[in-house]
Amino acid sequence: MNVPDFSGTVWVSLFSLPFMQRAVAGGVLLGILGGILGSFVILRRLSLFGNALGHAAFLGVVMAALLELPPTASLIGFIVASGLAVVYLIDRTDLGSDTILSIVVAGSVALGTIGFSFLKGYRGNLLSALFGDILAISSTDLILLTLLLVITVAGLIWTFPEQVLLTLNEDLARVQGIPVQRYRYLFIVLLSGTIALTIRAVGILLVNAFLVIPAATAKLLCHQFVPFLAMAACIGALSGAIGMVVSGSLDLPSGPSIVLVQLVGFLGSACFRRQHS
Amino acid sequence: MINSLFPGEQPVVQVSNLTIYRGEYTAVESVSFQLSSGTNTAIVGPNGAGKSTLIQAILGLIEHQAGEMQIFGHQIKNLGKLWQSIGYIPQKLPFDRSFPLSVVELVGLGYHHQRRFLGFGKYAKRKRQAVEYALEQVNLQNRVHQPIGVLSGGELKRVLLAYCLVVPRRLLVLDEAMAGVDATGEAEFADLLAKLQQEQAWTILQVSHDLDMVSCYCDRVICMNRRLLCQGVPSIALSTENINRIYGSTLTRYFHQHECSRFFRNGVGKSI
Repeated sequence: MNVPDFSGTVWVSLFSLPFMQRAVAGGVLLGILGGILGSFVILRRLSLFGNALGHAAFLGVVMAALLELPPTASLIGFIVASGLAVVYLIDRTDLGSDTILSIVVAGSVALGTIGFSFLKGYRGNLLSALFGDILAISSTDLILLTLLLVITVAGLIWTFPEQVLLTLNEDLARVQGIPVQRYRYLFIVLLSGTIALTIRAVGILLVNAFLVIPAATAKLLCHQFVPFLAMAACIGALSGAIGMVVSGSLDLPSGPSIVLVQLVGFLGSACFRRQHS
Repeated sequence: MINSLFPGEQPVVQVSNLTIYRGEYTAVESVSFQLSSGTNTAIVGPNGAGKSTLIQAILGLIEHQAGEMQIFGHQIKNLGKLWQSIGYIPQKLPFDRSFPLSVVELVGLGYHHQRRFLGFGKYAKRKRQAVEYALEQVNLQNRVHQPIGVLSGGELKRVLLAYCLVVPRRLLVLDEAMAGVDATGEAEFADLLAKLQQEQAWTILQVSHDLDMVSCYCDRVICMNRRLLCQGVPSIALSTENINRIYGSTLTRYFHQHECSRFFRNGVGKSI
């Protein structure tokens, strides 16, 4: 008779598979990166930025398929370029970032859908772009992620007070001689790179969750900057790991499971805070 | 021109023929003045006179269309490390009240350009001492770990003053420091500022609405309404005749109840 196995051996055997190990490592790395960069994203009011770049990625994937370019490299390149273009547009017009970001979403979806209608044959790679597949994460992706994390953490340690100051108030930062524009654009490059790699794992539709939810949860719980940042990174990492376990043991899709764990954490914190305030 | 207190010494700020357009509108027209070291100068004028615009342009926060400015004898774009000698307190510090930052963290941000890699322990210790000293000076030792979102308007201004105090500064620029502060907080802040100015040998440039405060605390006044109208010591620049000229003759001047400060009554006073 087929008895459900609660002894844990299924888990052990499942998590001894290399692709599963890579997926867990990927989930944790993405969680940490998303938590750290997301902390600045929500404080700089760029929460819609990940969403806009996610939609731009749809256009990027369609274009790569049409022009038969290598998918990972062209996606990273396209998203970083789109990110810089968006910031440039925001700076050059006085329309407000939410307006520009909405235009980018609309434009990307329209162009992407038109491009999509020209695509012939197999379209499976587009589905995986929409929903991602963290189980398909490769060693190269992991190396790229680690590299991005090292650059982010090193850059953050090097320029920490400047980053906080310019997040708090750009004028204060300028009067300290901080090269505000240079820092902003470098941040966007890091953020766009992270978004590109996150899309490969969890897809266009869920990418923004990694940036916004762990940081928002941490903001509910912490009132000092360093604990806030550490908390966001920890929540990101933990939800990556727990989400993979949930996904593995209940046989649920992986990316959405991670986001589900993030969501539970967020709602829990919101209730906790309500009780304490 | 304001005569320098120390002839031959370079002015801290020098502005000549500064003109700023805001769209079609001329916000500041051909304004010239200079600030001598150690003076406390107030810019006064009616609403929309271009006072904040002038200050922001001097600091390079907005573009100007004509004229020249120098701080410490350098053009803004060549200030480099000299930026560290400038403290700035904006009119409003627009931030989300839930911004996760404590008082001690905000004050510590003022210390950012000190060499932080000379040995981490040593740096952390020096920074802690500097922050403690600054918070003591503004009397906020008991709010150290509070989030900045819970502070009153007056307390937030004092935290920003501590942020300016954490490293030695030469020039302090305040853009209506009293906006959003009640009368008691305002008097306390003005006292504190006067005391610190003397101890730190700051040169101060501030925008102010309160002519009585200006008469009490400042030793130079610049009156403007887009153009420069008068400048000089408060007793002359703020004569009834001049005030009518600046604000229009319809202005009734209300005298506040606060007199010239505990600090001055205690006889410490400014030595000009």
